Parts: sequence; structure tokens; C-alpha cells
Amino acid sequence: MLTITNLQASVEGKEILKGINLTIGKGEIHAIMGPNGSGKSTLASVLAGREDYEITGGSVNFDGHDLLEMSPEERAREGVFLAFQYPVEVPGVSNTNFLKAAVNEVRKHRGLDPMEPKAFLNMMREKMALVEMDQAMVSRSVNEGFSGGEKKRNEIFQMAMLEPKLSILDETDSGLDIDALKIVANGVNKLRSKETSTIVITHYQRLLDYIVPDFVHVLYKGRIVKSGGKELALELEAKGYDWVKELALEEAGV
Amino acid sequence: MQDLQEKLISGFQTVETALNGQAQTPIHVIRKQALKRFAELGFPTIRHEEWKYTNLMSVVKQDYVLGLQTAPNLTKTDIEPFLMPDVEANVLVFVNGTYSADLSTIISDKGVEVMPLSEAFKKKTATVEKHFAQYAAWQNDAMLALNTAFALNGAYIEVAKGAVIEEPFHLLYVNDSRKQSTFAPARNLVIVGANAEATIVESVHTLVSGANVGLTNLVSELVLADNAKLSHYKVQNDVEQSHFVGAIHAHQEATSVLNTVVVTLSGGVVRNNLNAVLAGKAADTHFYGLYLVNGKTLVDNHTLADHAVAHCTSNELYKGIMDDKATGVFNGKIMVRPDAQKTLAYQSNRNILLSPNATVNTKPQLEIFADDVKCSHGCTSGQLDDESLFYLRARGLDKEQARALLLYAFAGEITEKIELEPLRERLESIIAERLHQELL
Ligand SMILES: Nc1ncnc2c1ncn2[C@@H]1O[C@H](COP(=O)(O)OP(=O)(O)O)[C@@H](O)[C@H]1O
Ligand SMILES: [Mg+2]
Repeated sequence: MLTITNLQASVEGKEILKGINLTIGKGEIHAIMGPNGSGKSTLASVLAGREDYEITGGSVNFDGHDLLEMSPEERAREGVFLAFQYPVEVPGVSNTNFLKAAVNEVRKHRGLDPMEPKAFLNMMREKMALVEMDQAMVSRSVNEGFSGGEKKRNEIFQMAMLEPKLSILDETDSGLDIDALKIVANGVNKLRSKETSTIVITHYQRLLDYIVPDFVHVLYKGRIVKSGGKELALELEAKGYDWVKELALEEAGV
Repeated sequence: MQDLQEKLISGFQTVETALNGQAQTPIHVIRKQALKRFAELGFPTIRHEEWKYTNLMSVVKQDYVLGLQTAPNLTKTDIEPFLMPDVEANVLVFVNGTYSADLSTIISDKGVEVMPLSEAFKKKTATVEKHFAQYAAWQNDAMLALNTAFALNGAYIEVAKGAVIEEPFHLLYVNDSRKQSTFAPARNLVIVGANAEATIVESVHTLVSGANVGLTNLVSELVLADNAKLSHYKVQNDVEQSHFVGAIHAHQEATSVLNTVVVTLSGGVVRNNLNAVLAGKAADTHFYGLYLVNGKTLVDNHTLADHAVAHCTSNELYKGIMDDKATGVFNGKIMVRPDAQKTLAYQSNRNILLSPNATVNTKPQLEIFADDVKCSHGCTSGQLDDESLFYLRARGLDKEQARALLLYAFAGEITEKIELEPLRERLESIIAERLHQELL
């Protein structure tokens, strides 16, 4: 599905990703953990195509395509979905109209006709139920005046509507209470399939109790300093991020 | 070629002789004084602080004929495209400044007296004399003096106490410059009685051919009695070869509510003055404006919310989207006079520039002479927000679609203030189409 090879990226001349290697197979869930400022969101943004970052080296192959050559919208249409750490409020643009446009773009790309209004509404209803969103929220402007938790739920709702191949959830758990966390995790689990892959970026282990990863990677200062199975998350929780920092020093051969 | 100022001054004499018995009335005395003042002041130049960014010189140097001296013959078919479809409205049509009974339709018969101003001078003399030129102070404003001098026709609307007039009044001005470039003046007087409600739509449509251009000078005086409510929508979607210099002067008594929306979508040089004097306690005024222009269009909005007494509110939001070499000018003044304690006055002007050659000059002016007031103002100009653009693109919308959606939403914050639904929908669809084409 996704092969990241020696990916390096910088912003305003400052190197942030310093050679990331990561391979994600179909149907797999990978968790990326690491202290604040490690470059987790940068990695997610680079994969989604944000133009603020300069790619200074490496390559990313997504389903046989050179991902870095594609515009953000092409990536989305090919099936890359980023659930933003900080979803943007878009006043004046209704959730429904926005999603209709997005869904139909993705369909067009797949050679499908635009959805019939009725089918679209049915699909909306079904996916709303999945993340327990109500009609009022969906009728409002995109994320406008939403609480932190509502924004995160809306991201997962959009993900459900767009049916991506690769979902990248950037700290979708932050700002969620335990009930909301369960709703979101439940939604993600239901959307899982053998054909889709997920990258779960999180600062805490908590979310991984509900979305159980196949692999866990620790990102620190722009490098993956350790990878392992789901037990690595528990180890991190117990030992704290200082342990990671020591690991990084060891790796640097100090 | 005689210059326009001289031409208008001599045109005045000709028009005056046609007034017959009315040449000695108090109204005509005002016209003569105003003409004299216009002769002294001349057309404003950019040396005038209020005209710093709007150069009228190229506008007034055209060879115009005075509209009142022309007799164009328009048919219902000619004006059909300018009407609001799906709206039961009173339509008053003025061609080159002269009322056309044939093209007009008046359907409201209860609670309102509606007639051309020329008729009101005779039939409603006392009321007209009480209000005419009382709010639009022409003494130091050349363009207003000019309009006052030629205040021979326009709409007169007087809504009776307590009457709620459902049908809007569409005041439609056609400037027929097909034969010759035409200067068309018009003057409206609108009086909304206590507890009464009405809706007015103003639009100007210029017909041109060859190198001709039209210049329209339209002034409305709006009087709102206690607790009256007036919605005033000004729609400017005229041809490039049209120029407009106009003003609205509102006078608001206690607890009256004025809701104005000015939407400018195209034209040549467009200058709108909008002044409201909050003269009665707890009066409330709303100024909304949208200018979405491209080409070489210049849109200049000068507004004044004049808080004369306590407990009044003014709320102003003007938004601009400018492409190509378009120019926007916004000058918003809030005046809070010494007696106007507990004033709430908000003002905001936000602009998006789509091209490096588009410009905007925005200037808030606050003159506050009372201490217990809440005033705020702010202006921004820049490009579309990159974060929002990326967000939409990350969901599969291409760049143009994403931009169109964001711009449409930006404009929507103004169009949503139009309570006359068919008008709002029509403008929104014009805007959607424009944005779609613009961004391809
Ligand atoms: N657009 C940007 N401009 C400047 N610095 C940035 C930008 N984006 C990220 N950074 C910096 O890159 C580093 C990694 O940030 P980020 O990817 O957000 O980390 P994480 O998501 O792991 O907390 C931080 O030091 C951050 O300040
Ligand atoms: Mg982050």
C-alpha cells in the first residue's frame, strides 16, 4: 500500500523529517507515537500533500504511484485521507454541500457518475450513525463553532463518506473524552477492511486500547527510532518518552 | 466641446423654463441654491479628501447629454431582463431620469402612497417640503448639490403609520446611452411611518452602444419614523461603460431599524455614499456591502453611521473580492456625538485580492465624543486562507473548486442579509456562476 523510503522534509530551511523509512501493507494498522515536536504531523501533512513543506530527499510510493508527484486533491481521490490534528473551520460552507462535492470528485476519479441526491442522503445517514453525529451538526458550516471533540468526530465522518484506502489519523484522540474516544475508535474499526490501511498518530497509548495496531513506531526528532508490535505502546506508556530520547542517543552512537 | 459642468448649468435653465408654475416654489429655491453651490464647487478632484482614490475626471470629461432633455422610447421587452422574476413587486421605472408610467407597475394600494416625485411635488407639497433635502446636506458636497439641483424626478414612497407593505418597491433606473452618452439624475424620497415596514430595491441599468458611456447620479433620502423598519437593497450589476455616483441619506427616529445591503458586481466607476443619522433613542442601523469586481471596475463605498443620541446601534460589514485591475475603496466613519452614550458601533471591512494588480484602500474613521460607548472596527485584506484551501483539497476538491467554494462562502456572509429571498437567490446564483468562470 505505502512505502516510504528515506523521506526528508524541511520547512523554512529547518530540517524536520530526517530520513523516514516505513512500509505499510494492506489491511494493516500502524501507530506512530512520539513526543511533541517530533515531526508526526509533518509526516502526515507531507503524505497528504501540504505545500508548505519542502521535500529534500527520499520517495513515497502509494499503490504503485509516486505520491509526492501528486497534488493534494489527486491524493485524496486516489484514496489518501488525512484526519487533521486541527480541523479547519470553514464558515459559510455547509458540511453537506462540501461532502457532496468531495464524494462526487472521488467518484468521478473512479469513473463513477455523481450520486443521486437520495442515495447520497441515505449514505450520509448511515455514516452519521456510525460516529453518532446528528443532523444539526451536518447541516452546519464545516466545523464552525464545533467543539474540539465534534471536529474530530466530523473528521471520521468525512473519512467514512470518502471511503479511503489509506487513512492517517493525526491525534484524533486528543481533546476527546472517553465516550467520544470510544465512538471514534468504534467508527474507525467498523471502517477497517482487508483492503484498507490506517496510520494512527497518537501521543498516548489510550487510543490504542480501542484501535489495536499491528505495528507501533516511535518517531523522535524526525526519525523512527524504534518499531515493534502493540506491546511497544505499553512499554512507552510505562517508561515514558525519556526512554525514547535515550534510545535515540544510543542509535546516534553516543 | 463644452465641459460637463457648464453644460449642466445651462441645461438647468432649459429644464427650469419647463417647470412653469413650479419655478417659484420653496423646492425650486433649494434647487437653484444647490445649482449655484455646484457651480462654485465643481466636480470633485482627487485633491478632495473624500475623493482621494476615486478620480472622476475621466468620467466627467465624456460628452454627455442631460438625460432629462432626451426622450428615449423603451418597451416592456427592453426592461424585462432588469426585473426580478418571481417577485410580486411594485416597479417604478425611470428612463434617463424621467418616470415612465407605461413601464411601471404599482400593485400596493393600501397603506402606502407611491408616485413619481414630480407628482408628489404637486400632490404632497407639504410633506415633500418638510423632508426634501433635509437629510442629504448638499452644501459641502458637489455631487449631492448637483443631484439636488436636478431633483425633478425619482420615486416618492410614503408608508402610512403601522402599515406593513409586503410587496417590495423596485426602483429601476435605465440610463439609455445608446444614441448619446447620457447623464441621468434621479432623486427618491421615502418616508416610513411609525411602526410601518417596507422593502426597497434599487437598480441601475445602462444601455450603451459604440464608445458611449452612461453616468447616473441617484440619491435617496430615507426617513424612518419611530419603530419603523426599512430594508434597502442596492444591486449594481451594470455594464462596464456605466458610471454611478449616488448616495443614501437616512434619518432614523427612535427604535427604527434600517437594514441596507449594497451588492456591486460590475460597472465602471461606482461611488456609493451611505449615511445614517441615528436621531432617536435606540435606533438600529445595519450596513452590509459586497463588492465582487474584476476588469477595471472601481468601487468606492463611503459610509457614515452618525450616532446623535444614546442607546443606538450600528453594525457594519463590507466585504470585497477583487480580481484583475479592479479597485476597491472603503471609507467607514463612525461618529458618536456627545449625547450618544451607550452607543454600540461595530465596523468591519474584509477584502480578498485575487490578482496582484487589484488594489484596495480601506480607512476606518472613528470620531467619538462620548465616553460610555462600545465601538470596534477592523479591516483585513489579503488572499484566501491557505489552511482552508488545503483542507478542502485534501478532501478531493481541486484548487479552483476549493477557491470558488471559499469565495462563495465569503460573499455569502453578505448576501444572507438580504431578506427578500428571490433576490438573494438570484444574486447568489450570479455570484456562483461568476466565481466559477473567473477561476477556470
Ligand atoms: N509550518 C511550519 N513552520 C515552521 N515550523 C514548523 C512547521 N510545521 C512544523 N514545524 C516544526 O516542526 C517540528 C515538528 O512539528 P510537528 O510535525 O507538528 O510535530 P508533532 O506532530 O510530532 O508534534 C516542530 O519543531 C515544529 O515547530
Ligand atoms: Mg502533531
